[in-house]
Amino acid sequence: MLDPTEFVQQERRLFIDTNVFMDTDTRRAGGLKRLFERCQDDIARNSNPIVVPTKVVDELTKQSRTNPAGLTDGKAAAVRKATNSLTFLESVAPLGLVRKDLGDNSNPYADDLFVEIFTRVGGKYEMCLLTHDITLLLRIRLLAAKTNRRLVAGGLSKEGQIEVESDQVLFEKGARKLERMQRQIRQSIDVAKSEREAASLEPLLDDFQHTLGVSPAARQPAPSHTPSPATVARPEGTPCAFSSPAKFRGPDHVLGTTTIPREGDTVRFGSATSAASFTLGRLLGEGGEGQVYEVAGQPNRVAKIFDAEHRTAHRQAKLVLLTANGLARPGIAFPSSVITTMAGDFVGYAMPRAEGKEFQSTLMRPKRFRETYPNWSKADLVDVCISFLERVVYLHSLNVLLGDINPKNLMVEAKKTVWIIDADSWQLEGYPCPVGTAMFTAPTVKGDYADNLRTMEEELFAVATMLFMVLITGQFPYSRAGTDGDIPRLIKEGKFAFQFHGKSDQDQPGGKWKYMWSHLPFKVKSLFWHTFHRDGDRYTRRPTAGEWLQVFREYKAFFGSADDFDPMSNDVYPSRFKAFRPDTPIRDCPQCHGKNAIVGEWDDDQQSYFEPELCFDCSRQNRHRQQPRPPQNTAMCKSCGRSALKSSMTYGHCAECAAKGAQLDPAQLCIDCRRPFITFDHADWFKGKGLAMPKSHVTATKQQCPPTAPSTKKPRTQPIKPSTQPQKSLLARLFGWFWN
Amino acid sequence: MALRISADDLVENPTPRVPVSLCIDTSGSMMGDKIRELVEGVNQFYATIDADDDAHDAAEVSVVEFNSRASLLQDYASVERLTPISTLDPRGLTFLGEGVNLALDTLEKRKSDYSGSGVLYYQPWLVLMTDGQPNGDARELERAVQRVTELVAEKKLTVFPIGIGADADMSVLARFSPNRPPLRLRGLNFKEFFEWLSKSVSRVSQSTPGDTVKLDLEGLAGWAEL
Repeated sequence: MLDPTEFVQQERRLFIDTNVFMDTDTRRAGGLKRLFERCQDDIARNSNPIVVPTKVVDELTKQSRTNPAGLTDGKAAAVRKATNSLTFLESVAPLGLVRKDLGDNSNPYADDLFVEIFTRVGGKYEMCLLTHDITLLLRIRLLAAKTNRRLVAGGLSKEGQIEVESDQVLFEKGARKLERMQRQIRQSIDVAKSEREAASLEPLLDDFQHTLGVSPAARQPAPSHTPSPATVARPEGTPCAFSSPAKFRGPDHVLGTTTIPREGDTVRFGSATSAASFTLGRLLGEGGEGQVYEVAGQPNRVAKIFDAEHRTAHRQAKLVLLTANGLARPGIAFPSSVITTMAGDFVGYAMPRAEGKEFQSTLMRPKRFRETYPNWSKADLVDVCISFLERVVYLHSLNVLLGDINPKNLMVEAKKTVWIIDADSWQLEGYPCPVGTAMFTAPTVKGDYADNLRTMEEELFAVATMLFMVLITGQFPYSRAGTDGDIPRLIKEGKFAFQFHGKSDQDQPGGKWKYMWSHLPFKVKSLFWHTFHRDGDRYTRRPTAGEWLQVFREYKAFFGSADDFDPMSNDVYPSRFKAFRPDTPIRDCPQCHGKNAIVGEWDDDQQSYFEPELCFDCSRQNRHRQQPRPPQNTAMCKSCGRSALKSSMTYGHCAECAAKGAQLDPAQLCIDCRRPFITFDHADWFKGKGLAMPKSHVTATKQQCPPTAPSTKKPRTQPIKPSTQPQKSLLARLFGWFWN
Repeated sequence: MALRISADDLVENPTPRVPVSLCIDTSGSMMGDKIRELVEGVNQFYATIDADDDAHDAAEVSVVEFNSRASLLQDYASVERLTPISTLDPRGLTFLGEGVNLALDTLEKRKSDYSGSGVLYYQPWLVLMTDGQPNGDARELERAVQRVTELVAEKKLTVFPIGIGADADMSVLARFSPNRPPLRLRGLNFKEFFEWLSKSVSRVSQSTPGDTVKLDLEGLAGWAEL
């Protein structure tokens, strides 16, 4: 299942085929509506509308003109859908949600048009086509495999997501369609159309089977449950996908007893019938599930041998699936072959030797980071994130979830190439990832990890957390002062304390983390905040790895650009907050000679910058030494921690924060009249006293709700946002007209 | 200035901590081999934690001794700032309740440091070792039992009560650990015990099958009478 918003980002395209508009299958009812709802914000942000080619509009027009007399109910319903869709498209085009101007009349069928577009510009954009036509799905999948491009074709789900089947399932559907066409020809039903379909399907299926290495056992109604090692090996590097969604395989079980081989023992690759045997070399390491050994004579490969308790049916099945596909990619420790005892019992797998050291012991603590990579700048950490994301995007495109993303499963070396290890814990084809790490576990994950499949949303929580922890070298996004440090609870509460456009900063953890956060570009901060903060708009619709990748590539381009006006932004450990604007004065500290350590502080009253004499650290140190202090005309704002002129402050808050504090908190609504009722400051007062937060005008202000909204009126569910509301309501009304 | 170093040390390490409190009996009966092996075991524990990357960044150890009084030998510190114990001088009675209460007070203080700086921590551990029976203030003992069992029930403490030698009062130790029976050290296998303990600390930061840390129970056989 893919998130359609992935394809309305820049450099990507999302197309919809005629049959999706005319789909009358109730299992997918409402899917189109949800698709537009999911995508509308991203479309607007990226000015990248969904493409409905002219040819598709023509086909819909033609269909809508069909005389309904004499049609079956189903066909008549499809015709009605076509008519509705045309009106819908007319209405949303001016909102910028779709473009209909693409394509001409040179291709007689929309199918050919899509294949032509995907062939022509597949090298430029990552593209996705929504269609329910098996033949077209096969053609696009084949094109993707042959050109090695990210060209996705899938159906629309009820939830408005893109449903992408595995190569095998798609192939089998195609084979059944061919049978159906041949049957129709024999029975003289719709001969011309069936002949045309069959004539294109037959060679297509041949080509598909050959190129994607799917199994010819197409007559089976569903893929068999026990994976067969005899599956035709896929040519290396060819994209392939495991099934999605896959059904949970149920509980795992330990395989019977066998002798677990040790250093110096001889084992086999593959199976009992395989000729290749080798000796387990030196023991390299011990993990929670088994041992890792050198492979004698093959310096670039290692062997992981499970201990008895972790030699399980699920692990075996996963490894057979992974190795059968011949997947290989630098930076991903794809299993290359299953390892058995000489008697043929499964005991482990071979994989390429990952280079580098664990994130945990190199990036996750300032002290270790400085020791390991003393010369790295922020741009180097961004490179690490990009390398990590490229690998995650690839695994996700195969319908593999990493499951247990954590800083001990990721390695990095001096060239900033990231390695993903621990393939045996990945989640694929309905086999769950049986382990996890508290800090990377989404709030929705319950109980033992092995009891359920993890969702893509849950995976994306771990991806976001890892990116944050790489950029901030180990700090956990939900760390904040004043808690009992209970990690699952912090995640559940969703209070992201790092400061972003407001007052959410009072609990920022001690230390220089806040400076590191402050120097991130706005877009990066914004996406983190919206993903982690429970009030953020990506809190339950987390960014995909692809979206993050784009944001981090932009971050990379930021260094040295016109927006990069503060030289300290490229330091991994800045010693102060980011400069306010490009014209903000920045200079070295005369006491510690810290480069760029002093930055001017904007004074709103004076409309000028105040320049401190010393950097923050030196002034703090001097205060501790009880030396005569510099004139104390500034103080730290209790809210944002920045220093401001005392004269401009109100009860210890700077002018900006004081103004903000006096505003009503739009997130807290009165339970009686459903409107904001309490100011930020007032709410903080209750919090500070440890008192229960009031819930209504009456309890907060001892006064009735203001009269403008009599409580007899129907309560509003959301505060009005004047700028976006009219457009949303129009769209909502359009949905109502056409699809309800 | 020392205060600052310790505060910087606290906030500059983002690793979630595993606070480990060693609460050890140094009454007169511990004289001789027992105390010597114990001191060696504790120092060995420091060295093993130091050598293990994960435990190194996560562990914070404090040591409380009890005899005719309770005293704090080592306040919570990361391994870089732990001072090895040179000798301990066993004498007097077994004020076990007082010892546990001091260990818990020290823990509460550390937890509030963590909380104030936004430092994360895993469930703290209390290792309680004695070779006799408590003979301090009975009310202190009751208070200690109650505090420990309450924290354990709230999942805010993992407790390891260990009896040393044949005279250790296992029934009192059992009162501190309603879920898991106390263990008796096999002979004077302190080294094996502390090795197991450091391995367990290291495991806390690793991937787990569920939301609770699984202890290396197989490893128990190396030091416990089972």
